[in-house]
Amino acid sequence: MNYQPSLPEHNDNVSHQHPVREFIILVSGVLAIVFMGYWALGLFVDVAVDYLSPEQEAQLQTKINIDWDWGEDVMPETQAKLQSLVDSLQPCVPLPYPITVNLVRPSENPDMINALAFPGGKMVVFAGLLDAVQSTNGLMFILAHELGHFKNRDHLRALGRGIVLSILTLLIFGGDSDFLAATINQRTANYSQSRESQADQTALNALQCHFGHVGGATELFESLQSQEGESDLGFAHYFSTHPELQQRIDNLQRLAQERGYSQDKTQELMQH
Amino acid sequence: MDSLTIFLILLALGFVFGKLAEGRHYRSILAREEMLLRLPATSCKKPMGKTLPVGHAELVHGHVVISVDYFKQLLASLRNFFGGTIQSYETLLDRARREAVLRLKESCPTANEILNLRIETSSISKGNSGDRVGSVEVLAYGTAIYYREVSSQHSGL
Repeated sequence: MNYQPSLPEHNDNVSHQHPVREFIILVSGVLAIVFMGYWALGLFVDVAVDYLSPEQEAQLQTKINIDWDWGEDVMPETQAKLQSLVDSLQPCVPLPYPITVNLVRPSENPDMINALAFPGGKMVVFAGLLDAVQSTNGLMFILAHELGHFKNRDHLRALGRGIVLSILTLLIFGGDSDFLAATINQRTANYSQSRESQADQTALNALQCHFGHVGGATELFESLQSQEGESDLGFAHYFSTHPELQQRIDNLQRLAQERGYSQDKTQELMQH
Repeated sequence: MDSLTIFLILLALGFVFGKLAEGRHYRSILAREEMLLRLPATSCKKPMGKTLPVGHAELVHGHVVISVDYFKQLLASLRNFFGGTIQSYETLLDRARREAVLRLKESCPTANEILNLRIETSSISKGNSGDRVGSVEVLAYGTAIYYREVSSQHSGL
């Protein structure tokens, strides 16, 4: 037997599939798993939040303390007035824990029209909102809307989903706690359209309960809508998770009609 | 967001430079393999078909350490989820094995034959932290033999 030196005709020890193809297949597989996981865990969060007893909810609220920096406290007197307005709504929207109102004017966007419900019973009202509403009733509707988020435990749902999302991103990218905190903060105020409609309903009932009529309920949406028509910038960026303004107005009016709520004269806005 | 950007940059760098380095290495391997084809290297313990007296024999070895690029490493770690062959490491090991044998042959250019060729591999850096460098060492060793009578005839090679 003689040794015949020869070179291999082709390399059988390596695969000839293109690595980018493999990469795309594997990454889409991972993403599909992550999205399915997020979806399933999100459903789980929703179910778990519904199972919480009011005592557990109250206990949870005291344990959560998210720090944020919205700029310095402006107008402490107006904040106190807002607080008393929110407190006066308590009988109509009963909650097992106290709500603290924070009036803020963020330096990078001082005219922002928004209000947010945060875990820990913290309601953040942006000062721009006070300029956008015309009557106390209109303002009360927005405050009651945020109370509705608390009542429906939407902030807990959003927090739960935020945690799920952060854990998933941590699993994929590894990562730092700053990223985690940022995600939680960012996700906390982000509710789905159906949650918004439900909070609108709660607010409408609260308005009827507090004033005896629902005048001014659609006030802010109507003024936002006319502003939106005027400028291209619009408020669509903030209201992107909120149902279309016209749709919200229609829903509220239909609901008021169904329940036989009347629309009387609104009260003038408090001075600030 | 920053970590994602860094990740994507590393991925692109790994892909481009990994591909360039691999192409260059394969071209070099193919050229040198053809050049050294005259020097047989087998895993047999005895010379095949020859009964020439052996002048002297020596232990020869060649080894190489090759690092994996970020792109290949990511592909391999994605395989952690799904299982299957880690195709991205195949070329790495193929190159390392052939390079080690080439270096072994280059270390004894006047030998007549290399017997009892063995190839071993080990991963250089093990650890569970994310900072570890994925690199592999391949060691090839064997016995180079020089025939007494024909060594003068072959010396010109």
